[in-house]
Amino acid sequence: MGTWTLIAPEGLLLAGALVALFADVLLPARERAGAWVGAGFAAIAAAVSVAAGGGTLFGGQFAIDGATQVARAATLVLTAVFLAWLAGAGLKRGRVREFAALVLFAALGSLLMAAARDWIVLLLALETATMPAYVLMGFDRGDDRSLEGALKYFLLSMVASLLFLYGASFVIGMSGSTLLAASRLQPGAIGVVAAAFVFAGLLAKLSAAPFQWWSPDAYAGAPSPAVAFVSSVPKIAGLFAFARVAAVLAPQTAAAGPLLVAAAVASMLVGNLAAYPQTDVRRLMAYSGVAHAGYLLVGLAAGTVAGAQAAVFYAIAYAVPSMGVMLVAAQYGETLDDLRGLATRRPWVAWATGLMLVSLVGVPPLAGFVGKLYLFTAAMRSGLVWLSVLAVVMSAVSAGFYLRVIRAMFFAAGGNAGPAARGSRVASAVVASCAIAVIVIGVASSPLMGALAFGR
Amino acid sequence: MGMSNLLSVVVFLPLLGAVISALVPKGSPGAAKWVAAITSGLGLALTVWLVAAFDRTASGMQFVTDVVWVQQAGIHYHLGLDGISIAMLGLSSLLGLIAVIASWKITDRAPTYFAMLLLLQVGMNGVFVALDFVLFYVFWELVLVPMFFLIGMWGGARREYASIKFFIYTLAGSVFMLVGMIALYLQTGTFDMVELARLGAGGTLGLGFQNWVFLAFFLGFAVKVPVFPLHTWLPDAHVEAPTAASVLLAGILLKMGTYGFIRVSLPMLPDAARVWAPWIAVLAVISIVYGAAVAFAQTDLKKLVAYSSVSHMGFVMLGIFSLTAAGLNGAIAVMFSHGVVTGMLFLIVGMVYERTHTRQIADISGLSSAMPVMGGLLAFASFASLGLPGLSGFVGEFLSLIGSWQSTVIPHWMTVIAAVGVLLAAAYTLWMVLRVVLGTPSDVVRGLPDASPRELTALAPLIALTLVVGLSWSSLLSFVDPAVKALVAALGGAA
Repeated sequence: MGTWTLIAPEGLLLAGALVALFADVLLPARERAGAWVGAGFAAIAAAVSVAAGGGTLFGGQFAIDGATQVARAATLVLTAVFLAWLAGAGLKRGRVREFAALVLFAALGSLLMAAARDWIVLLLALETATMPAYVLMGFDRGDDRSLEGALKYFLLSMVASLLFLYGASFVIGMSGSTLLAASRLQPGAIGVVAAAFVFAGLLAKLSAAPFQWWSPDAYAGAPSPAVAFVSSVPKIAGLFAFARVAAVLAPQTAAAGPLLVAAAVASMLVGNLAAYPQTDVRRLMAYSGVAHAGYLLVGLAAGTVAGAQAAVFYAIAYAVPSMGVMLVAAQYGETLDDLRGLATRRPWVAWATGLMLVSLVGVPPLAGFVGKLYLFTAAMRSGLVWLSVLAVVMSAVSAGFYLRVIRAMFFAAGGNAGPAARGSRVASAVVASCAIAVIVIGVASSPLMGALAFGR
Repeated sequence: MGMSNLLSVVVFLPLLGAVISALVPKGSPGAAKWVAAITSGLGLALTVWLVAAFDRTASGMQFVTDVVWVQQAGIHYHLGLDGISIAMLGLSSLLGLIAVIASWKITDRAPTYFAMLLLLQVGMNGVFVALDFVLFYVFWELVLVPMFFLIGMWGGARREYASIKFFIYTLAGSVFMLVGMIALYLQTGTFDMVELARLGAGGTLGLGFQNWVFLAFFLGFAVKVPVFPLHTWLPDAHVEAPTAASVLLAGILLKMGTYGFIRVSLPMLPDAARVWAPWIAVLAVISIVYGAAVAFAQTDLKKLVAYSSVSHMGFVMLGIFSLTAAGLNGAIAVMFSHGVVTGMLFLIVGMVYERTHTRQIADISGLSSAMPVMGGLLAFASFASLGLPGLSGFVGEFLSLIGSWQSTVIPHWMTVIAAVGVLLAAAYTLWMVLRVVLGTPSDVVRGLPDASPRELTALAPLIALTLVVGLSWSSLLSFVDPAVKALVAALGGAA
């Protein structure tokens, strides 16, 4: 069996991105063909990633175990689904093929990030995943807010990468190897500093507090389809890489636990409370993303395999509805006023959205609840009872702002007619499949959790 | 088909109905109510079959289904019935059907409305039969969503406020239950409620641990009951909810809280229950007196019934935390009777409101002059509510008081104050009957049509049950008593 099949999904995405990029040369008549092609490539890559199994490449720099497979497959499936939506709904200002190519490049980086077992590969993967995202966030070239948001995102993201690199350079120096598994932190302040810098870089990529401030501005300026992708899909691999790094560094320095706990507390508080006054769904979902980063960190703070598994599971349980809700916003309007009365205009879309929002609150038996059950069980098993109590209280608090969206859609009669709903069947099917996935992941969590096996 | 599968069918049949109802094409909105009526009717018939097949002499679980659901987390799909749960399941199935009949005139977004009503039934039925703690929690929370939409989409003027307050308030309570549940799991390694009860009776859990888990569960259950001072969501939700939702809210959802105390807190944490019992009894007595006192001041008929619920649920809490067989039997009898009688009261209030578009007591005085049947039924339901011997309300409150008097954990003076609550209930209820039923006819009520056959159909089973339970306590308590005896024995064993 050729171990090269392990990296075949990356190859497929690269090929797909290039085809999508030149789609107007190959298929000049079809603006959206690039997105379809990309969706096809991503779907095939997903199948290949599952079929290829696990293994190691490049002297251990690139490795795939059960959990990695889950993270990669989830990233690929969501990418394919997103591109299908893009092909169905299109973009307000066109240039679909460029958009599709950038999404594929970002997904490529995410795949590498999940499989990276080496500090340098991880950094490169992180950059590969983030750079297309800058362009996606600033995709509306003519829109100053979009550019401003993209610039903020770019600057902070660069700083985060540098923090990460700075920290990683210490770790590499102390351990004499670039392999993650070989990392050795020296006792004392230097180890703490190295870990703190690495974590800070990863926290910023995850839009966790105290590095969250860029995300609301960046999201509010960006085109909604870009937000739908950037805010959800890359977070699975990002969280996964974080879990890997934390698993290596946390046991070696006593400061790691408190750092993660502090970031978790800050993220949950800032995210859930700041989401309340928002009337723009993009800003609301930006803060919701901060809050959910906090829940994920609760799992990592547990410092156990069960905690990491729960966090990866929850990253998926978060990404699916988060993307779905933003796709709805992309189609039917970004402010609460735009969504007013959606239940009368497009009842099924409204119900699907309501379901996804309720899952984000954590109402059983949906994915969000099951994810939280795993997370808090792991955290409490590690003795983080008070952190779990805070997390569940914050979940109840979060109901307030998610319900405001539901209230706008369902309880307000008529309201503003909103932009003429583009009734793309494919787009509606994508939203529906996100909603169904939220139910299925919740009710039948067993196979997914079973597949989340962490090897070395 | 085995009887244990039948139990699953009873729980999930409404889900099927909800899906079908939601899929009813726009052209024929009238079909939704038939779908709802047929599924609820079938569900009730199957529940009656279960009741008939139930062995009243046994104290353990019957019709048990137990299969692994989520292997990694030790979660099972585990259902079963004992005498306590079958009484509540019967009530839930009956009120579910009655809620559908009471909603017959709903035309606004009818398919969605009936789908929500049916989805609510899934949660209500499920809570009373779940024997796995996670499953219990799933059903517990499942109830929130349809009730939120029922209040928010079909409620009164302040529906948005009331629905969100209801949702957040009860969610905030139940997330503490989630923490308690996980803590119990980590301590014992199981979510099996039967096993947890066995471990609880065996005294394997330390008192310190029990105490704080008890507190977490208390927050979850007490909000639902509601116990003073966690009751403030209730008047808002009740008043704004459409009639059918009020019936189910008062009839079933409040009972979920007290059921939780009986099924979870007492058997699993018996030592903590002993420690906390006097304090909860204080809150129960406050609820009784406070609910009654506030009911006096109400000018809105629906609000009056809502506050009377706070008072009546106080008797349930008092009976439960007397930790005696009489008190627990009484508590369950009040739960059942209050479900039936308050359901009746909310139905009648709704029927009157449909005609008069007001619920102000002053506006609808002299109801019986225009609507003798409706007025008579309101008087009947009120008498049942205040605990007139011979009607269903009497037995429960009587036994609750007996139990709290016998109890070794509740001081006698509390029982005395609670007994005053019975007098208060009689006073505010009779005063209401005096004004509404007998007062000088107001302009509003003059010439209004009396109860229709459909309305009488909705009320008839409740009237019958009020009489049957009132005249023959054992018809209800013969189901409940063996399970209660076993519970009290287990509680005693832990002392």
